[in-house]
Amino acid sequence: MTLDLSLSTKQSLDLSPTRTRTLEVVDKSNRLKSTSLGGKMVAEYWDNIFTAKERGKHVVWYNGTALNPIFQAAGLEWCHGEAFSARLAAMHLEGPAQQAGEEYGYIAELCSYARTHLGCAVMTQKGITEKQSGIVGMVDQDQLASKLPSPDFFVNAYAGCSTGQQWDAMTYRVFGKDFPIFNVSLPMIWGNKKDSGYLRGTEWEKTPLYVEEQLKKLIEFIEYQTKKPFDWDALSENMSYIKRASELRLEAMALCAAAPTPATYWDWVASIAPINFLPANQLLVDYFQAVKDEIQQRIVNNISAVQNERYRVYFDGIMNWNKLGFLTRKFAEFDVAVVAGRYTHDSFWQEPQLIDLDRPLLGMAQHYLICPINHGLKIMEELLLKRCDEYAIDGIAFHSTRTCRAMTNPQHILARTAERDRGIKSFSFEGDVADAAFYKDESLESGLVAMLESIDQQRAKV
Amino acid sequence: MAESNAAEWFVMGVDLGSTTAKAVIVNSAGDMVSSRVVQMGAVSREGVRVAMEAVLAEAQLRPEDIVRTISTGYGRRLVPGADKMFTEITCHARGAAALSPGVRLVIDIGGQDSKAIAVDDEGLVDRFALNDRCASGTGRFFDVLSRALEVDLPEVAQLALDGSTDLEVSSMCATFAETEVISLLAQGADKADISASVHRAVAGRTLGLIAQVGKASPVVMTGGVAKNPALIKFLSEALRQPIEVLDDPQIAGALGAALIARDEHLGTLSKAIADVDTERQLVAAQSAGAPHCADCDGHLDTHEHRPVSVILQLNHLVGAGLRPEGQ
Repeated sequence: MTLDLSLSTKQSLDLSPTRTRTLEVVDKSNRLKSTSLGGKMVAEYWDNIFTAKERGKHVVWYNGTALNPIFQAAGLEWCHGEAFSARLAAMHLEGPAQQAGEEYGYIAELCSYARTHLGCAVMTQKGITEKQSGIVGMVDQDQLASKLPSPDFFVNAYAGCSTGQQWDAMTYRVFGKDFPIFNVSLPMIWGNKKDSGYLRGTEWEKTPLYVEEQLKKLIEFIEYQTKKPFDWDALSENMSYIKRASELRLEAMALCAAAPTPATYWDWVASIAPINFLPANQLLVDYFQAVKDEIQQRIVNNISAVQNERYRVYFDGIMNWNKLGFLTRKFAEFDVAVVAGRYTHDSFWQEPQLIDLDRPLLGMAQHYLICPINHGLKIMEELLLKRCDEYAIDGIAFHSTRTCRAMTNPQHILARTAERDRGIKSFSFEGDVADAAFYKDESLESGLVAMLESIDQQRAKV
Repeated sequence: MAESNAAEWFVMGVDLGSTTAKAVIVNSAGDMVSSRVVQMGAVSREGVRVAMEAVLAEAQLRPEDIVRTISTGYGRRLVPGADKMFTEITCHARGAAALSPGVRLVIDIGGQDSKAIAVDDEGLVDRFALNDRCASGTGRFFDVLSRALEVDLPEVAQLALDGSTDLEVSSMCATFAETEVISLLAQGADKADISASVHRAVAGRTLGLIAQVGKASPVVMTGGVAKNPALIKFLSEALRQPIEVLDDPQIAGALGAALIARDEHLGTLSKAIADVDTERQLVAAQSAGAPHCADCDGHLDTHEHRPVSVILQLNHLVGAGLRPEGQ
């Protein structure tokens, strides 16, 4: 080492700003190409929604679980509140909707999905011409946030989140209670009885039956609203596509147990929209077939999703939609392959064997109940350790989702469980699903690097 | 002052924090030969230069006597000549474990953030928790208090030790705390009680961090806030166990960085020798007709593309007064 510390030789100290590593970052991530097809499908889906009224379609606004196969079978157009909020955030266009929500009276600590979507409701109702924000560029941004067609009715089916039910109740009021609302109750799966566990025990056997009955009532409600008999055959057909797409998705995910991984959590995040709310059809199946094919080809060609994969990390928390590309590059910068996550791997039709095409409502009820924020701690611990084992996880990044306490509240306990039972290191960082203001890069980087240093030291001890 | 000899070498740890720069030099035996803390304001490049110059001068060493430098702290990317960076978490754990063997829990409260670090029996990080985005419970918190009470920083601690009534000040954020303090002053509350209440709030906040990693004993406190006797008292009471304060708690991170530099250099020495051997074998292979390097026509002994790491390692060997056989 040669240090010239004299005052007159600043150059030799190399104090120039370009010395900072963050300015010289090379993107070491290698995202799947096939997921861009999903982006196109999602864009087309929303464009279609925006013209629903012109086409004389009934529109339902809903939140929470994936009721869309039912809506599709009933000939409805459906708008999923979180999905639209996430889309706005991913495009960095959430600001006008959130501002509208705040102007209406919803505080920043409210779930940012809810806040954004409520803002959309306000804007949809008021119309863009009434907005005079005076902010340059706001009008263009307004155009997307205010494009949603007003609903003909609401359906709420939220598991594990009390805010979800209040959110739709508030939206109902924003629209002057002019449109009916139907609530599906999804009880918590506590998992604290002796025979309880993931997909097992008397609690598990009984609760879906209760939900299945409610789904039947929902269908009666939809028939009443649309004045049309429900098409049960169409529902079975829809679920057959969902089942196949889900199987392909899981098979593709399982391929990522390979090291280095051919695809990452960020690719699975990009694939959430298709499996969660796009129409169930052959295109959906084709999409996941393409994703699986690309992953298989990557394995054959020994192509990894992260250049120089040195650490395999699990992501716990809902995605920070404002930061998808940024976090993809950020973790890869430190040779981290984020290979799995609670949000991607334990949500969205993740148990396709439960889908019975002769009795589709039961399988749907079961899936709605296994939402990752609807379990008691015992089951969450079981699932976390299972995923850590499957994907040979070295560390866990806990995204402390600031306005989603339902996802965040057990994280410290889960961190201890992973450390105690598997010796897996972890760290927490703050952020949010659809509000960039809660993310602080220094906080993420300090925690991430410290965790990687701990992993290195742990490896050196072995 | 360090007495240099051919076999002895030195490493440096530099901790560029949010309000101070700290530098420590450790010799090849692992002994600290000099240290310096410089108060220079927010992440100051000038501060780190002064600290590094001062610590070299104190040890009577030249920059080229330092075989490896590791930086840490918020400004770790700005430390000139650093070979590698580590987080404060790893470095404080290592430094505290060296200064207080057997430590199991390190509480580091610096100017900008707070950390609770569970340490294993080898002085390595087991678990850690960082404060969230705001400056609650950090040194900044006490700066704000000092300004609001219009007293010097050391006096704030003394006032707190004299206070008795708990005024239940919010622990949520430094800005809110300042507002609360001004409000309490306006209500005629005693300054000593206010100061004590703020300290109690910070202790409670720190206790929350400790809860995340799990209570363990013995406890050592590092960082600038460890010099605040009132906080030690309140935190110790809240934790219900004694807290050891290091003689110079601010240098723990820089010392840890220096010790890691020493570890790495010890490892690097043997690896460098191995690499040199490998290179010599490459030369031998070249002479024996092995495939040539297309870029340099096989002149491996003067290879312009020699791996940088090997060049650095060779420099380190020379800097350390050691020469691989035949060099």
